[in-house]
Amino acid sequence: MNPTLVRLRGVERRFGSVVALAGAELELRAGEVHGVLGANGAGKSTLFNVLGGLLRPDGGTIEVDGRPVVLTSPRDAWAHGIGLVHQHFTLVPTLTVSENLALGLRGALEPGLSVQRAVRELIERTGLDVPLQPRVEELGVGDRQRIEILKALLRDPRILVLDEPTAVLTPDEIERLFDLLRELAGEGRAVTLVAHKLDDVLAVADRVTVLRAGRTVLTAASGEADQSELVRAMVGDGVVDTIALGLGPPPSGAPPSAPHAERWVVRLRGVDVEDERGWRLHKVDLDVAGGEVVGVAGVEGNGQRELARVLAGRLEATRGTVELPEQIGFIPQNRSTEGLIGEFDLVENVALALYRKPEFHSGPWLRWDGMKRVAEEIRSRYEVAAPSVATLGGALSGGNQQRVIVGRELEMSADLLVAENPTRGLDVSAAAFVHDELRRLASEGVAIVLLSTDLDEVLALSGRIFAIAAGTLRPVSSRARDRAGIGALMLRGERRTAVDSALERGVDDG
Amino acid sequence: MSRNVRTCLLSSLVALVGCGGSSASDDGSLRAALLTSGPVSDAGWYAGAYDGLLLIQDSLGATISHQQTATPAEFDEAFLAYASSGYDLIFAHGFEYQDAAVRAGSQFPDVTIVVSGGGRIADNVVPLIFRLEEGSYLAGMAAAAMSETGMVGMVGGVAIPPAQGTFRAFEAGARSIDPDIRVLETFTGDWNDVAAAKEATVAQLSRGADVIIHNVDAASFGVFQAVREAAADGRTVWAVGMNSDQNDVAPDVIIGSAVIRIPQAFLETARRWETGEVGGAPIYASIREGVIDFVFNPRLMDRVPSGIVERIAAARSDIRSGALTVPRVRFVEDEVGAP
Amino acid sequence: MADVQAQSVRSVGALESILTGAVAVALTLLTGAVLLLLGGFDPIAAGGAMIGGAFGGWNTFVSITLVRSIPLILTGLAVALAFRAGVWNIGAEGQLYAGAIAAVWVGIRGGALPAPLLVPAVLMSAGVAGALWALVPTLMHLRLGVGEVITTILMNFVGIYLAAYMVHGPLQEARGVFPQTGPIAEAARLPMLLPGSRLHWGFGVALLLAAALAVVVRRTRFGFELRAVGASPEAAAVSGRIDTSRVLLVSFLGSGAIAGLAGGVEISGLTHALYEDLSPGWGYTAIAVALLAGLNPAGVVVTGVLFGALQAGAGAMQRDAGIPAAWVGVVEALVILAVLAIDRIRRRAGALRAAGARGDE
Repeated sequence: MNPTLVRLRGVERRFGSVVALAGAELELRAGEVHGVLGANGAGKSTLFNVLGGLLRPDGGTIEVDGRPVVLTSPRDAWAHGIGLVHQHFTLVPTLTVSENLALGLRGALEPGLSVQRAVRELIERTGLDVPLQPRVEELGVGDRQRIEILKALLRDPRILVLDEPTAVLTPDEIERLFDLLRELAGEGRAVTLVAHKLDDVLAVADRVTVLRAGRTVLTAASGEADQSELVRAMVGDGVVDTIALGLGPPPSGAPPSAPHAERWVVRLRGVDVEDERGWRLHKVDLDVAGGEVVGVAGVEGNGQRELARVLAGRLEATRGTVELPEQIGFIPQNRSTEGLIGEFDLVENVALALYRKPEFHSGPWLRWDGMKRVAEEIRSRYEVAAPSVATLGGALSGGNQQRVIVGRELEMSADLLVAENPTRGLDVSAAAFVHDELRRLASEGVAIVLLSTDLDEVLALSGRIFAIAAGTLRPVSSRARDRAGIGALMLRGERRTAVDSALERGVDDG
Repeated sequence: MSRNVRTCLLSSLVALVGCGGSSASDDGSLRAALLTSGPVSDAGWYAGAYDGLLLIQDSLGATISHQQTATPAEFDEAFLAYASSGYDLIFAHGFEYQDAAVRAGSQFPDVTIVVSGGGRIADNVVPLIFRLEEGSYLAGMAAAAMSETGMVGMVGGVAIPPAQGTFRAFEAGARSIDPDIRVLETFTGDWNDVAAAKEATVAQLSRGADVIIHNVDAASFGVFQAVREAAADGRTVWAVGMNSDQNDVAPDVIIGSAVIRIPQAFLETARRWETGEVGGAPIYASIREGVIDFVFNPRLMDRVPSGIVERIAAARSDIRSGALTVPRVRFVEDEVGAP
Repeated sequence: MADVQAQSVRSVGALESILTGAVAVALTLLTGAVLLLLGGFDPIAAGGAMIGGAFGGWNTFVSITLVRSIPLILTGLAVALAFRAGVWNIGAEGQLYAGAIAAVWVGIRGGALPAPLLVPAVLMSAGVAGALWALVPTLMHLRLGVGEVITTILMNFVGIYLAAYMVHGPLQEARGVFPQTGPIAEAARLPMLLPGSRLHWGFGVALLLAAALAVVVRRTRFGFELRAVGASPEAAAVSGRIDTSRVLLVSFLGSGAIAGLAGGVEISGLTHALYEDLSPGWGYTAIAVALLAGLNPAGVVVTGVLFGALQAGAGAMQRDAGIPAAWVGVVEALVILAVLAIDRIRRRAGALRAAGARGDE
């Protein structure tokens, strides 16, 4: 058996009255890829941060090479050879890729080895192909993820821990990443993958550890555990949302029928969106009819943010015609910064979408009693776990925030609902709730546009599917309607820079 | 009635923590207060006033109090507070108090307010006018005698008539020694801006002036600093102090100071108030009363050209006797020649 | 930066503001007492003089403390309105001077107006001038993206020096001797609110304005938009479809108008003439007043009176206990420090509660 590099025993960590870890066990061995699984809220991120020295456990022990250690800072973790790849990017957008890679490297490289040379060698060895000259802000999300991994590898860690690395990658990129992880393990490192998608973990991990409610509930070689056993371990007796766990489309999720041409509610023709960095959207044509779910798949940073905002009437197109219905519901991706106001209570957060409706004001005066009733209704009908409608938006969990937002946007009786990564970061039952609501709405005749980086979600819910890459929208034919086909379309035109788009525009205009 | 009840209630609360003041000193002795709009640590205009207040305390056994005000909105409040706590004589040390003083004076007829450099008069509100120009005239004589370049400079703060008056007199004094002398004049617009005063002084020195007089408050340090630096560069340059005896501030370059002996003026005013002589007319303080003078820096007497000390002494006695009239800018209302 | 700023200011209920204020003042007094002892003064006598000077009798309270609180309340409301919308208007001082200049101009030259209209004309011109003074930073912010903190501070200097120029030049008193304006017309002066005291109607104006702002912020569509933009411009625009530029424009100009009104009220109610040093920095103290009040209009009245009492008491400490004037500054600085500390503690407690309820991993 391979030697054990890291062992966590009975690790506990509380935040105020909330217990995030309540006896987590983890054993990482040299030469193996280890998957840490768990639903959202299971304690994965806390465990990750404990390993990286970002959080100190309240109880339990951490052993590295069989000796107990205290990790009080990321520096400590590095000193023991533990390297982290964060889910949230830690790069400085205004610095170039080389500069970002060089940051904090002083003393970490072998003497005499320049950063440039180390980076080039590493790129050659790993095949993680990234440009070094552009500023990070000019690059797409996929590139940024690769840079994060490079940054961690530059210090030659013995133990590499990655937090949800697949969230922003295309299927092809995920394949390549997994190859790399296996290779790194083959060199004798312990590679750890923290993820909530079963498929991802099973595809690459030699062993898996399942966390639930802060406890390690299962550790097994990935060959030994079957899927249903793992799912049960992850969710306990909770609701199972097969899409959110990456288990493929649900059996009942047959795509809705073709759109009714007489019920078009959205019409985009030749829509461009341009900002100081170049094109965000380019010559987009899109029609959406009542009762259909149109899926838009794409790697983040390819224009779906702008497309969502144009469709939701929040952003004006630079060029082209846009026809939208009067009432539009919008579920923005960033619940806590764009969907809700943390310091507003539920009534005020509901009011945010509704206060303009005639029944909720008379002249300049708001009618809070009416909006309070609606908020009470949303709280009970959508089972928002909040003691009262006076609860602050910031005090809700992500899932409950999303329940409030969905409830509020449905309350508008909109003809169109635009949903942007509506289940990202939600736990299983909350994700299931959102999916059910989207299906129900479509069946009631509402036009729905679902923009998501989660291919499984798009495949499961949508009728027609489009792929967006570099601001261009391309329909996905029924032939290409699978992960590989869409992935291929998503990849086209990635890594665009301002220079590229300016060049392209010059060619077009001339 | 109801107001009295409220007052009593509030007062009794206050009494717990010891509200002193208002009802004390019914023994008939003088209660004198001072208002300044600058710090009494300025070694000049305000410090002199505070010393005067202390002198009144020591010489006349008066109860004294001082408040530094920050804004015109506080002027009325300070007069009200002093008048209603039984103060008889309030020195408001600056023209800026005059409007509030007249308002307070009509509201509290038993209180006498003396406004230094003020321009408005009422029965119980009188300006205290320092004839600093007399000292400044003598300073001008000394400056002209010291100058080798035939050019002297004046650095002022705010261009108000009393300040302009000192400069006119300085100029006249200088011409009485050297009719062809050239005189530069700069007002920085701020009594206390050290940097601005220094800059103005440097400019005048570089134009060829070699004796600089000032009429500012705390900013005088900037004037002296500039002169000192020029002296350190090898030039023969001098400064003249103003308002108080500043000869010790920069003993190597200050040839002498035109002084106001503010403490004496305050004490004299308080004495005259006790005998009922204060009211309805401005109080003038001049060379004749010994309040204004020019004093040479004893450490630099060997640098002073022979004969000038005697000429200045003669001019001083001519001013005292009325034989010599120093030009001045009139600004007290109803005064002959005032605008 | 907008994010951080928006989150750093939390609006809280009036009661909590008052409690925060009380603790801040207690801490301040304690620190002050220790400093006084170290300086060789008698803290009991000083404290007695201070309380006596602020609350020692009905007339003292009304004629000194409340009169002092008027410009603090008004500028505090101006700052609170802007901060509520996430606009960092540090320029209340300059806007106040602009208002004072306009007020004194109308008050002196507006003799042609019928007497009953003169006071409203003076106050309105002050408000308009304050709003105009805020217009430059507003437009630079909205059109050019220049941060309003720096532009409003710079406009303060322009306002202060413009006032200095006015009293030496175009508006100098008729004899041209002293750097001040002549008095405004009798009909341009605010009447007394309580006969026999120095408390003028400016206090009434401040109270009415505070009440109006409280209602606007709580009850109206615009107030809701203002709070939403201040709390999270992104969410306001994305989820509320609120035109954030319009909200910023209106609240910035409104804030400037209120600060200008503070200058007008000071001229019309108290000094009746413009002087160079009209304001001892009310526009800056206003920031502490507004923050201590949790940006709550009703709270601003309380903290404004509190600061007024502090300043009145500081004057009495000089007069009755012989404590040097530098103490005014020390005490004010101490209060501001205490406010910051307590605000931080309270916010951390709030964040912990929220995190606990949310169940963060």
